[in-house]
Amino acid sequence: MATHCEEIRIGFYVCHCGHNIAAMVDCEAVARYARKLPGVVVSRDYRYMCSDPGQELIRQDVREHRLNRIVVAACSPLLHEHTFRTATERAGLNPFHCQMVNIREHNSWVATRKQDATRKAKSLAQAAIHRVRFHKALQVQRVSIRPEVLVVGGGIAGIHAALTLANAGKKVFLVEREATIGGHMAKFDKTFPTLDCSACILTPKMSAVRSHPNITLWTLAEVTQVEGFIGNYRVKVRRSPRYVLEDACVGCLECIDACVYRSPKFPDAFNEGLGKRKPIYIPFPQATPKVVLIDPATCLNLKTGKCKQTCLEACGERQAIQFNQQERLEEIEVGTIIVATGFKTFDPRRQPLYGYGTYPNVYTSLEIERLVNASGPTGGEVVARDGRKPRAIGIIHCVGSRDRKTNVWCSRVCCMYSLKLAHLLKEHSEAEVYNFYIDIRAPGKGYEEFYNKLLDDGVHFIRGRVGEVTDWAMTPEEEGRLVIRVEDTLAGCVRRIPVDMVVLATGLEPQPDAQAVRRLFNMSCGGDGWFLERHPKLAPVNTFADGVYLAGCCQGPKDIPDTVAQAGAAAAEVLSLIDKGYVEQEPNTAYVRDEDCSGCKSCIPLCPYNAITFAEDRQKATINETLCKGCGTCVASCPSGSIVQRLFEDDEVFAEIEGMLAYDA
Amino acid sequence: MKLDRTIRYQADSDRDFGRQVMAVPGCERLKDCIQCGTCSGVCPLSIYMDHSPRQVMALTREGFKKEVLESRTIWLCASCYACSVECPRQIRITDIMYELKQRALRDRVYPKGLPTAVLAKEFAGMVHRNGRITESFLVVLLYLKTNWLEALGQWRLGLGLVRKGRFPFKLDAIRRRAELRRMLDPEPDDTSATAPPTDRRTP
Repeated sequence: MATHCEEIRIGFYVCHCGHNIAAMVDCEAVARYARKLPGVVVSRDYRYMCSDPGQELIRQDVREHRLNRIVVAACSPLLHEHTFRTATERAGLNPFHCQMVNIREHNSWVATRKQDATRKAKSLAQAAIHRVRFHKALQVQRVSIRPEVLVVGGGIAGIHAALTLANAGKKVFLVEREATIGGHMAKFDKTFPTLDCSACILTPKMSAVRSHPNITLWTLAEVTQVEGFIGNYRVKVRRSPRYVLEDACVGCLECIDACVYRSPKFPDAFNEGLGKRKPIYIPFPQATPKVVLIDPATCLNLKTGKCKQTCLEACGERQAIQFNQQERLEEIEVGTIIVATGFKTFDPRRQPLYGYGTYPNVYTSLEIERLVNASGPTGGEVVARDGRKPRAIGIIHCVGSRDRKTNVWCSRVCCMYSLKLAHLLKEHSEAEVYNFYIDIRAPGKGYEEFYNKLLDDGVHFIRGRVGEVTDWAMTPEEEGRLVIRVEDTLAGCVRRIPVDMVVLATGLEPQPDAQAVRRLFNMSCGGDGWFLERHPKLAPVNTFADGVYLAGCCQGPKDIPDTVAQAGAAAAEVLSLIDKGYVEQEPNTAYVRDEDCSGCKSCIPLCPYNAITFAEDRQKATINETLCKGCGTCVASCPSGSIVQRLFEDDEVFAEIEGMLAYDA
Repeated sequence: MKLDRTIRYQADSDRDFGRQVMAVPGCERLKDCIQCGTCSGVCPLSIYMDHSPRQVMALTREGFKKEVLESRTIWLCASCYACSVECPRQIRITDIMYELKQRALRDRVYPKGLPTAVLAKEFAGMVHRNGRITESFLVVLLYLKTNWLEALGQWRLGLGLVRKGRFPFKLDAIRRRAELRRMLDPEPDDTSATAPPTDRRTP
């Protein structure tokens, strides 16, 4: 192993990357320049350094020229640092004796003149050659992975991920905020494009979750704290009181009949407020767990303490109802986390021109899902809020999507679910159905065919974004109805179309507390507020927090097949980690030199990963190197310069700067 | 029966026209138009237009200068700004309409006899000459240049205005008009496609 007393023998390689680099950088000139620099023994340019022959070149040179340092000028270290470190290691050197120079992303792709790009490549190369001399031999740390998994969110994504993991024999904690799992999918009537009954395909999975010995299901629960690091997370979960013992309740629902409120009185959130419920209720017949709950905001006994408590009598000996139930805090230890917190739908009150909230017969798509559902508030009959049976229905696409004033993205599912609702509304009523769209986006297996089927069914498709929905009639036909004013852009004229019911195809949005959740799990959000995947193409379920994975719509709008696919992928990533049993950690961590630390504690609050603690006995700061992510914040802040970061030690960084400045064109 | 050709050859378009309009500050976002038709859907006057606002956007972007500048649409625009408010791409459609109006006036291709075009032109011309407008003169000019016979029908109103002293016979003007003109007419060397075009007609 190379030490400081040993002679430094550097091998330098410039990659052409096809035309990516060679078109803008004179690679040969860079190699010629580097050859003259102190310590450089070999300097070459090569077409594709990352290819097998390219890596073989490094190995051969190390053998022939007794090299002990390698510098590769190529693409971003994000892409190929691992490749070249491995090549260095296979040549018998310490992998951290290799340094990469980015002359593609930082140079050839952004430069406009070949001359300047070549100069920049030379100076970057010189900086790296100066620096690599000071590299120390470092060892990769191994961290073991606990086999327990936390899944946050019990929608179809969370359910599928939890079942996949549990079936593989892993212990899963499934935490759901609502009183039942199932998420949005439980509210749907049918699913596009096959028109499968949504409940029929979802509820078997829900009861499988409930009965699975490997799954611990906590509903009405929220994650409040996450500590630790990949493989070893300590998570606190707050479980709100249900006022009903889950183990004692058998779901006979007699308490609901016995409630002092004779008839349901309060808007039912599961039916989007279209139906009513009592203070003690079950969200829907197939709710999982099939346990009633009491809403403390509406229950007379919990609000005032003055109630005959008829529900207690009805429950009888089972004694499942416990009015004194308190909030509980659970603490669990897991190795990995899957975040599947889902989405919320756009609130169309933000776009007043569509009249939602003003005209009672304007509905959101989720409300229509409940309206056409056989277990919905009307038993599947299409009746408007004013009791009318609609003769004509208008479905407005892109509400709260593709709009710079609200959400710029396409929500991906609205076109298809609008087609599905058009089909269902036609099936459940006699009405003419009009779709108002900007573009029909039906990219998926069987989706285009479904669109063709609707055209055959005689559903009207009018290409134009609706200007307004009004009750202001201009012709006798429009009296007492809602009028949609729209430019039929294909016919080339402005039209007024009277309808009795308007359906707003509301888009998908990140959950309102997405930012708080992001901070909780140390993830990132994109500019649009969706959780950010590590790489949009090659790491679509990973996050920037190691050991935390994404599934479903919390990462971006997607339909059920894509959600299930992503949940499966997240579960597979988790399984591969658990089966391996450990991860290797980059040794670019920081450590405190005890002799210099004054114990001022200024670094402790600055660490974004809570990796620094204060050792009271020694009065010194200490860094937990498994938590440290190598951000360098503490290094920069330490007033006594006592914190050192491996791979970024002072002599390395200063040598790099000197090398950069020493370059003289 | 004579058949007109309705096909539009690429030679019929003026590619620079769209580019010039989109270079004017405030009109850049025309590039982003997705032709959804919201502008036409909310426009209270679109029912009288020969080309809907959406079509004007498409024709402008593609450089069909003649169709756009001779269109009634730009002169029917009442500047209610409903289109600009509702546009999902935040295109300042009303501002683009103003830019097109100015170009139509400059090229003298506005529809003859349509009072809004004449009013706009005379209004701007009067401000240019005198620094302010005198309504009595403006109204007379408007009637003379559009439908002078209609003015005769208004004699009773006119007489009443004269009697109350509301119909001045003297042209009102500001002082130091030369300075105003220097502000309105930039020197030839700093005129460019991006400078706000003004009516450079000599009075």
